[in-house]
Amino acid sequence: MSHRFIAGMAMLVVVAVFVGSSGNTLSRAQPQTAVATTPWGEPNLQGIWTDPYATNLQRHPSLGEREYYTEEEVAELDRRRIDSQQRPRATPGSIADVAGAYDGLYISMRPTGRRTSLIVDPPDGQLPALTPMVQQRRAAMREYALALKQNTSTCQNKEGDCANGTYGPPSPRREEMPPSYSTINLNRANGPEDRSSGERCMATSLPVFNGYWRIVQSPGIVSIYYDVGQGQGFQRIIPVTDRPHLPPHVREPFGDSRGRWEGTTLVVDVTNFEPYLDFQNAREHLHLVERWTARDADTLEYSVTIEDPTTWTRSWTTKQELERQDGQLNRIYYEPRCHEGNLGMVGLLQGNRAVEQAFADGRGAHPASLDISSNSNTLGTGSNDPLGDPDQIEEVVR
Amino acid sequence: MRNRLTRKWVVVITWIATVVAVVAVTVARSASQGTRLDRIDGRPNLSGIWQANNEANWDLQAHEARAGAVVQSGVYPYDFAQVPAAPSLPFGAAGGVPGSIGVVDGDGQIPYTPDALAQKQDNAAHWLDRDPELKCQLPGVPRAMYMPYPYQIVQSTNKIHIFFAFSNAARVIHLDDVAPSPIPQSMGHSVGRWEGDTLVVDVGDFNSRTWFDRAGNFHSDGLRVVERYTLISQDAIQYEATIEDPNVFTRPWKISMPLYRRLEPNMQVLHYRCTPFVEEYLFGHLRNQPLVTRWEGETMVVEITRPEEISPEASYERISGTQ
Repeated sequence: MSHRFIAGMAMLVVVAVFVGSSGNTLSRAQPQTAVATTPWGEPNLQGIWTDPYATNLQRHPSLGEREYYTEEEVAELDRRRIDSQQRPRATPGSIADVAGAYDGLYISMRPTGRRTSLIVDPPDGQLPALTPMVQQRRAAMREYALALKQNTSTCQNKEGDCANGTYGPPSPRREEMPPSYSTINLNRANGPEDRSSGERCMATSLPVFNGYWRIVQSPGIVSIYYDVGQGQGFQRIIPVTDRPHLPPHVREPFGDSRGRWEGTTLVVDVTNFEPYLDFQNAREHLHLVERWTARDADTLEYSVTIEDPTTWTRSWTTKQELERQDGQLNRIYYEPRCHEGNLGMVGLLQGNRAVEQAFADGRGAHPASLDISSNSNTLGTGSNDPLGDPDQIEEVVR
Repeated sequence: MRNRLTRKWVVVITWIATVVAVVAVTVARSASQGTRLDRIDGRPNLSGIWQANNEANWDLQAHEARAGAVVQSGVYPYDFAQVPAAPSLPFGAAGGVPGSIGVVDGDGQIPYTPDALAQKQDNAAHWLDRDPELKCQLPGVPRAMYMPYPYQIVQSTNKIHIFFAFSNAARVIHLDDVAPSPIPQSMGHSVGRWEGDTLVVDVGDFNSRTWFDRAGNFHSDGLRVVERYTLISQDAIQYEATIEDPNVFTRPWKISMPLYRRLEPNMQVLHYRCTPFVEEYLFGHLRNQPLVTRWEGETMVVEITRPEEISPEASYERISGTQ
């Protein structure tokens, strides 16, 4: 055996090993454009991001398949929104006043975005139709929820979501379990389960369209912290791997993510959601395919395709452009303090026990006659934002 | 001449074998937990899924094993003859507490001021009512690092994100310049730097809501923690935390322990989102009909009754009070 042969073999082994190892330790997809990369060669998506614009989820039908407002339309919408009084205070002391505890003083308003809707597919920007199964579930829950509040002044006066409801004596259905797992505020507070997921501090999950998000990357791993939902922030880990998802019976509150790079785009497949979550009526069968693409140094495009054949008749896709936030200012909050500070749940349950006691003692109203399920939105006294008013949008885009 | 050549070959072949072996190990590990580089930006890569493997969450200090997480006097009045109290009894040997040599350096003592020591003992006596862990609240630092749950370190060049299974707790260690924390936080505000191959993290801006363990060891909002992370092998980090709080302790003190990499193939951190799990614990006494009242085993019945009168303040205290 010649020296040269041995040296050649050695080189071959070293080269093979090097290629093999780089294939495993570095990103398989090299960026094609000038998008920044991490020192280990993956597209760099890191930073604090937010969508600084107000955009409706669904498009006003008169816009057809038009994806963007004109600049004039945006300016006119902004003018109207600035002039509008956001969440005006209801008559002090009324149910609407107490239910809408956060009036305009507390509500920040983001400028109008160019997009006419977050939904880009279907091309008309509308949510697809719900399946008959989900329509039935919703109808049954609506009927039950209205029965629980039929003795309130809201129903007597045909207000809010009781505009078409009936007024009557306390319903015997108050003794029944809800027809399906409830994630809304019922007009009852027997225990925490009668309250909405938000009041129970367990409402947030994917997908997220608002708030502040921080992305941190390490080779083969992307982590995201979402500062959302008034102290219901959460985090997720996206392993960049071809490993299969968790077994179907293992459910995760923020789903189970698997990422891969397609060119400079991070594509993430998310499954295994918990049945107690509700996203636009979808529950544990929710399936997301997210796409994250750095458009330039300060713009990150986020698009998510949402499907669940048990909920919708077809899949739908949203798209939005996130803007980089100042990393030095570090305006993102990491503490999920909704649960830590849920004195509201204590006050609500305690208050309802006091109401029941007062009624039993002949001192107060029947508990069923008090409305503890309406909020400023269901009472129709909520936001006056022209962006939420189809008539005003129609006027502007006409 | 021939000998020298042979020696050269041996050197070359040994070198190749070493390279092959090292790379094989790297690749094998890569397959189990995603890709991994030994260094990030020239610094040791601490990324991975880690967990302490000790009894520190029961009690940082050296302690004997005992019959139950909560115990009561037995037939004899001696500590060593205590028996499990009612909440621990149905769990048998799974309801006891393992002994430990402790993780407090030096003499093993936590240098409390006399008042603070009395508070610690009172905390221990009311553990089931007060420990923030039982309420699914944020564990704080350093406790998050040695709770019996895994966590994932995601190390980048300017930030290190730590994702904890317990209660969705999160930390970001800032290796770059950021504005100070606007308010005190349970998990504090972490600023890191590298001293050679050791990551040093200065954690401040704490509130007083968190504890160090289930033994009632506590701190005030004057807490400052300086952590040191040093890789002692590919799969172990030597972790040290120097704890300082002039409101509670007479001098700084230090804990140290190894953190171990979770080496299971396909390991991933699953969320322990305990918010819904503790609703009955936190709010059960406020239901209009009691829900959890009775459990029957073959030789034992556990009855849960609530006091006739619970003051409104006590219910709020259950959420917000820690000591």
